[in-house]
Amino acid sequence: MSETQNEATPGTTIESPPAGRLLSWISTVDHKRIGILYICTATFFLAIGGLEALLMRIQLVLPNNTFLSPGFFNQMFTMHGTTMVFLVGMPVLVGFANYFVPLMIGARDVAFPRLNAMSYWLLPCGGTLLYFSFMTGQAPNAGWFSYAPLSTKPFNLMPAQDYWIVGLLCLGVGSIAAAINIFVTVLSCRAPGMSVQRVPLFVWMSLMTAILTILALPALNAALAMLLIDRWLGAAFFQPARGGSAVLWQHFFWVFGHPEVYILILPAFGMISEVIPVFSRKPIYGYVFVAGSSAVIVLLSYGVWAHHMFAVGLGMGADIFFAIGTLLIALPTGVKIFNWTATMWGGSIRLTTSMLFAVAFLLEFVIGGLTGVMFAAVPIDWQLTDTYFVVGHFHYVLIGGTVFGLFSATFYWFPKMTGRMLSERLGKLQFWLWVSGLNATFMTQHVLGVMGMPRRVYTYADNPGWMILNMVATIGAVLMALGTLALLWNIWISLRHGRLAGDNPWGGFTLEWATTSPPPENNFDVIPEVKSRRPLWDLDHPEHADWRLAKTTEDHGGRPDKAITAVWAFVASEAVFFLLLLVSYVVFNSKQLNGPTAASALDPNRAGLFTGCLLFSSLTFWLAEVSLGRGKQSTFRVWLGLSILLGAIFIGGQAWEYAGLISNNIMIDENLFAATFFTVTGFHGMHVIAGLVALCILLTLSMKRSLSPKRVNVVRAVGVYWHFVDVVWVVVFSIIYLRVLP
Amino acid sequence: MTSYLDDPALWNWMSPIWFVVLALIATYLWMCRARLTARSWWFAVALMALLVAFVSPIGVLANGYLFSAHMVQHLLLLLVVPLCVLLSLPQERVAALTNHRFNFGSRRPMGMTILCWLAGLGTMWLWHVPSLCNAATQSETLGIVRSTSFLMAGLAFWWPIFSPKNRLRLSPPAAVTYLFSACLGCTLLGIYITFTTISVCPAFANPSDRIGILTMLYRAGLTPVADQQLGGLLMWVPPCSLYVCAIISVLCRWYTADELASISTATATGSSPQMTKVTS
Repeated sequence: MSETQNEATPGTTIESPPAGRLLSWISTVDHKRIGILYICTATFFLAIGGLEALLMRIQLVLPNNTFLSPGFFNQMFTMHGTTMVFLVGMPVLVGFANYFVPLMIGARDVAFPRLNAMSYWLLPCGGTLLYFSFMTGQAPNAGWFSYAPLSTKPFNLMPAQDYWIVGLLCLGVGSIAAAINIFVTVLSCRAPGMSVQRVPLFVWMSLMTAILTILALPALNAALAMLLIDRWLGAAFFQPARGGSAVLWQHFFWVFGHPEVYILILPAFGMISEVIPVFSRKPIYGYVFVAGSSAVIVLLSYGVWAHHMFAVGLGMGADIFFAIGTLLIALPTGVKIFNWTATMWGGSIRLTTSMLFAVAFLLEFVIGGLTGVMFAAVPIDWQLTDTYFVVGHFHYVLIGGTVFGLFSATFYWFPKMTGRMLSERLGKLQFWLWVSGLNATFMTQHVLGVMGMPRRVYTYADNPGWMILNMVATIGAVLMALGTLALLWNIWISLRHGRLAGDNPWGGFTLEWATTSPPPENNFDVIPEVKSRRPLWDLDHPEHADWRLAKTTEDHGGRPDKAITAVWAFVASEAVFFLLLLVSYVVFNSKQLNGPTAASALDPNRAGLFTGCLLFSSLTFWLAEVSLGRGKQSTFRVWLGLSILLGAIFIGGQAWEYAGLISNNIMIDENLFAATFFTVTGFHGMHVIAGLVALCILLTLSMKRSLSPKRVNVVRAVGVYWHFVDVVWVVVFSIIYLRVLP
Repeated sequence: MTSYLDDPALWNWMSPIWFVVLALIATYLWMCRARLTARSWWFAVALMALLVAFVSPIGVLANGYLFSAHMVQHLLLLLVVPLCVLLSLPQERVAALTNHRFNFGSRRPMGMTILCWLAGLGTMWLWHVPSLCNAATQSETLGIVRSTSFLMAGLAFWWPIFSPKNRLRLSPPAAVTYLFSACLGCTLLGIYITFTTISVCPAFANPSDRIGILTMLYRAGLTPVADQQLGGLLMWVPPCSLYVCAIISVLCRWYTADELASISTATATGSSPQMTKVTS
């Protein structure tokens, strides 16, 4: 089974750059190295975020403590939250997906290796921007969800908030690019025989996470862009004093924020769905349920955001519906616990460190999940919102769920990534430190929350019982810090003196164990035949092979085109972005406004003329595409040139309109009509310009004779984007100029 | 609550919908040659939904009193009745009939799918433009046009998902996208109706009190503002829940029915089943 025939496939060996090892890491486009870079960067930020948590816990160890100033405490909880979500949680999960998704589906690399490198490098870039804020005198201090109006200029004059916004935008772009990459990799790069119904559950969960990221992150990006326009250009989207809406920020943030919870937990579900079967020597119980219910979670997670806003006062009707939605989403999540338990039932369980963390995941995550269901009941939420009960709840989910899943995966896959085993003795030490630390810190916080201790307040009065509970919580935090040190020490010594792992030390079932540890640059010399969900089990036990016992859907060989799939995913993401901008337009313009409005300031006839140009360019582009498909290069260039011209005329028209508005003194800070109008049309204009750049690149390629009819898929991919930009404009035109909505 | 159900003014037993129900039963019996199977239960559910929509208090309140009742009626007509009808149709008979009468060809054209999607979503959006919504509530003829268009649009919308002929159904990933985007569509309209300050259907803002129950409704908390909010939420959450259930059923089909999947993929790619066997 472990084919170590050293026949490197021709053309896959890449020469390492001469400038040495450092440059080879910086310039790498290998998914395994990028995965490791992601994981290492996330570990670095984990140390920083953990330190911030420790500082807060030291401040809270005694009542009326003065270890940290109130202002600095605000910066600490803001940076701790932001760091752990955006610089630790998401990157480390993306890192594991980067490393293992291609290996588990038998691919040589991700679909777009260079894009992958770009996504990674945006992470240190965003992290640096965020932490650079310390140099300006203070870090961001409005909390990780930066509620308006606290985050707007009148209440937050320091540039730190701007660094927060720009850093998050940078990370958001990187996350979306990485998600598109994973999405296309899973759909287009699977080995022969690997139908989508047969992919390992970690791959499936990564696919679901990618879909969530693609559709949820643009909501945050839209909100951030609007906040930035508020702060830099003087608009008032989120300033109630000037007619804006602070609640809108909450809606936009949580439309992103709730799916984000699942972005952080679904990959962990995938990880323990790999670990538990292998260490129970059984296939997963109810593969279809685990996979299908995750798809349902993806869909439902967009419908429950307002349960973060029960205390805002949405009205009884809305509260009831969102409460029901929240209770519903607990079903597909909760039943999976039974799947994992049933997988262990009757299995021959090996309690390695990896398995221990997976079992602890089941227990701790259930606690976090159950308190989550409690919050679905609106009155309980009203009572406990913004207390330490909330803090306890989501740390059980994120540590008991995500972090324990990650530790489990680290012990499971470290041998594959490095070729050496981690020390089990140190692993068990780390396990007990973390389990006792987690429960000491956050179980006590549940009690403190019920007693009424508010979160995000820098100190507390000497109320009966509060000090002892806070002390226990701080001791727990120290235990978790020691556990992390044990892991780092374990990695350090195991890299040097760890036992050699071999190809498949755990008797794993999935394709990553079919190659050497660590895998060669081209991943596989020979890919085993895939006829079921456990190809390596089938190889080792041909007489008990899965495909003999139960049929799974055959692979029919359908692999969608990479470029076109990627553009569709991108377009879906952009659609959500524009959707939110348009929602803000409708929200603000359905009210009575002082000053200019769409009716008084815009000329629909002139805009209609330019709209015609843009729509016509879609037609000419389609004709260009057809001509290239037929091999008529010169006709192709004529139609493409015409499309570029029409697009440019549209942009010219927009510039004319802007000039007219500005000469009438209608600027973006004039009123909410002007702010929403310039934001929507401005972003659309930027998209048209980006499309024009893409069309010009196509034209240049065609002039240089490097666009053969075989590469018509590239033109089609650009076409999807170009038509999308037109469709967006049709909606913009109907809403803003024709005012179809009352 | 029971007093609402007891009040005879709230029941429209003389509704002409009974004729429609009788006609439908006759057609159904003819379709399945009077042989009832387990599927026929779906047909019974469809008829019940139809009666609930017009005969029960929902129908009476929808007629000028409550926007939310009017929304329940729409959902029944657009989503529940057509879905149950499609599920109740005997497959073999439909296959025989459609093969003779209209041959759609082996491939479902993309444009057709988009039209079906637009029919389902567009009807909902169109009839809630304030002027149209008002007119349809006040004019009986327009009301009938509206109800019919809901039923037709509902059939068109569900056809690519639950068509009695397997080969006319969308492939599961496409079906999931179809339903998810539909969910997004009604979420948007639902959010708009829930949170907007203007009256979407002014006829419901100051109803004419035909049967003298308005005070009772207002006392129960169903003031026009709360009523419209409830209507918006009804348009948003129940359809999405129904779509999610449909997605679950599609996913089950995808994972379990190997044979079915191989047929639909083969027809989608235009190759024969033998060809795909070789490649796999």
